[in-house]
Amino acid sequence: MKIKLNGQEREARAGESILDLCRRENVPVPTFCYHQAFGGQGACRMCMVEVKEEGQKQARLVAACTYPLNTPVEITTESEHIQRVRRTIVMLLARRAGSHPLMKEMEEHYDVSPLSAITVQPPNCILCGLCIHACEEMGKSAIWSMFRGVDKRIATPYDEASDDCIGCAACARVCPTQAISLEEKDAVRIIWNKQFEMIACKRCGKYYATQEELEYLKERSAYGQDNLCESCRKKNLAINMKNFS
Amino acid sequence: MTANTDDHHRKTVLVCCGTGCTANGARDVFHAFQTKLKDHPEIDVQPVIKATGCNGWCEKGPLVRIMPEDITYCSVAAKDVDEIVEKTLLEKVLIKRLLYRDPISKEQLTSHHMTDFYRKQYKIALRNIGEIDPGQIDDYIERRGYQALTKALQQMQGQELIDTVKAAGLRGRGGGGFPTGRKWQACRDAQGEPKYIICNGDEGDPGAFMDRSIMEGDPHTVIEGMILGAYAVGASRGYIYVRDEYDLAVQNLGQAIKDARARGILGEKILGSEFSFDIELVRGGGAFVCGEETALMASIEGRTGEPRDKYVFPTEKGLWGKPTVINNVETWANVPVIILDGAEKFAAVGTESSKGTKVFSLVGKVVNTGLVEVPMGTTLREIIYEIGGGVLKKRAFKAVQTGGPSGGCIPASLLDLPIDFDSLAAAGSMMGSGGLIVMDDHTCMVEVARYYVNFLAGESCGKCTPCREGIRALLEILTGICSGQGRMEDLQVMEDICLTMQEASLCALGRTAPNPVLSTLRYFRDEYVEHIENQFCPAGVCRDLTTFYIDPEKCTGCTLCAKHCSVNGIKGEKKQPHIIDESLCIRCGECYRVCTFDAIKLARRDRNEN
Repeated sequence: MKIKLNGQEREARAGESILDLCRRENVPVPTFCYHQAFGGQGACRMCMVEVKEEGQKQARLVAACTYPLNTPVEITTESEHIQRVRRTIVMLLARRAGSHPLMKEMEEHYDVSPLSAITVQPPNCILCGLCIHACEEMGKSAIWSMFRGVDKRIATPYDEASDDCIGCAACARVCPTQAISLEEKDAVRIIWNKQFEMIACKRCGKYYATQEELEYLKERSAYGQDNLCESCRKKNLAINMKNFS
Repeated sequence: MTANTDDHHRKTVLVCCGTGCTANGARDVFHAFQTKLKDHPEIDVQPVIKATGCNGWCEKGPLVRIMPEDITYCSVAAKDVDEIVEKTLLEKVLIKRLLYRDPISKEQLTSHHMTDFYRKQYKIALRNIGEIDPGQIDDYIERRGYQALTKALQQMQGQELIDTVKAAGLRGRGGGGFPTGRKWQACRDAQGEPKYIICNGDEGDPGAFMDRSIMEGDPHTVIEGMILGAYAVGASRGYIYVRDEYDLAVQNLGQAIKDARARGILGEKILGSEFSFDIELVRGGGAFVCGEETALMASIEGRTGEPRDKYVFPTEKGLWGKPTVINNVETWANVPVIILDGAEKFAAVGTESSKGTKVFSLVGKVVNTGLVEVPMGTTLREIIYEIGGGVLKKRAFKAVQTGGPSGGCIPASLLDLPIDFDSLAAAGSMMGSGGLIVMDDHTCMVEVARYYVNFLAGESCGKCTPCREGIRALLEILTGICSGQGRMEDLQVMEDICLTMQEASLCALGRTAPNPVLSTLRYFRDEYVEHIENQFCPAGVCRDLTTFYIDPEKCTGCTLCAKHCSVNGIKGEKKQPHIIDESLCIRCGECYRVCTFDAIKLARRDRNEN
């Protein structure tokens, strides 16, 4: 399907999002809440672009990450209008995470005149929701959003240590603003108010995963049987390949 | 049986048991009638007593109507029942003190239909409410109920129904005003089975009770409308999503669904036709945002009630990803009438772009609060002054807030605006579900904006940035202005934030949330300036900016203000000018509101005091 992207004709796959197309065509579109593993959420609204649909006189703003390409449309990814909306969004989000380098960079880029900062729990959380998706994809859903409106935040049920949490820290790794507290010391990891025993890699001795995470992975897949950390597993694989040839 | 007894047998006593009347003791009145007649078998009258839905005239409730004479008694208490039975039912004598007295002509009117409140109304969606017992399916059938369904199943194809609804020009009554026929067509044409029908009964606007009254007072019309919609688009299953707090609506709808199933109106092979359809009742989870259709569907599916982008409409991918028609309660209530009486009759009422009627809940500082149904295109002045009887205590009208929390405030200069979907949007407000809150000159418009933004701060789902963070920022700025911390630059910042919220928010809640701010900035900007530059609240509402004093020239020493003062802060001898003790005064403004001699004056509060 032919569509127009910033005035140039491009081939789009039916049903893919504008953002998918832009990423493939190397057209930059800023995002906070998008991760290719989870698809578009339409939450942060940073990826707003202008779309002119067939038969419409005027372009309208849509979220690039959730707008599916099914008809030949004209897309504009940069304009004064878009810039203004993105500037306001950065201004609003920077109040939650003003000290984070990502936000500082964005504020500079969009020339934001800052509003006073607000305190939110946990600090720096911009409520992009990626952690929820990561946990859900792990099959655990130990964390979710609590409350609504301005009180919304991410937490385990009742802020207590959750039976569902396996301490895999997928949430912390996917967080764009490092807002999830993850403490690691010796053989102990503390995350979401829960303490986990870490297992050491049998090859290099590095503590690389929690007991619960490995047990869970063993239940669900062949992964995790070897008690090797990620880099040692790669090395092991390479050695085996060499022996094989 | 003599002719006389026959006459008595036909008598019906209708006790309004709508929400307002029930709160004022209508159930006691209803039971008093039952007991009175049971305890006095010697009374040679056998009237049927019915507890009806809301008549709309809540200000004058509990209402008791006696048919076929069509006598309406207002503000009836249980203790009046004996007299009504003995005098009116037995001796056909009117009880004058219970009749409505027209405030202008001073005439006592026998029937409520003679009052201005009802004469100017035109009832389609509310046609049965107050006339029937919502718990009796036969009451509905007696008033042409389920005739539209019979007509459709026997004589019409699904497409014909859609064509009729299109020709009638019906637009969604839930707020958006999307053409209902087009919505149905899209769903009928969409691929995918099964298809679903949803009735959105998650009415949550403060002060709004249109849908509640329909669900409570005439549940079968909603059910009939939904069956017709299902037949038109080829749906097999329906859901009614009711706000959790609406207990009576849940009860009456549940009973109505049960009764309809028992009569073969719902279920397999409806009324002997080949068409099957059933309805399930779902209670909402208590979130305002679930009135947004995608959030509502997420809630039915058991997920968090958060909206999604609607680049693909629910008519293609709705509930469980299947084609779905979702319409509001009032929209469904109009459908049977359109099918039965034809499109022309419906389209003859209303304006060019908005056909038919709209139900409004008229509340706030207005004489006749209640539920009114008027043709589209009726002016605000007609609704507020002719039907509503004007502003309470004859105070000056300042604004009317339409469309719920994300609607806007319309000033006096636009009172002659004929209201429909498009005129309200052009005025910076919206139809919304139909709330009309009348405000007098004692209302601070900055505080009104702050109030609604505060409501939305708790009710936004919090998913998208512009809505969640925009509302938070607006609330902080407005709170600042109301407490004297405002700066003129704040107005520009608010306008920027509002613009982004309108353009970039995920759902209609976020896109319309700036309306209270933008409409007050548009029509009442001088009040904002007064708060910021002069540190003064001209309405005497914002406590940090106001102080009250008594003008000794005007004070008659009536003591009314002193009696109302909650902190005993007003001192003075009877018939002598009073004074306010500044050290005790909490600036609630109660004295200012109750004084009938205009003796309480406002002054700027010196914020350096203490």
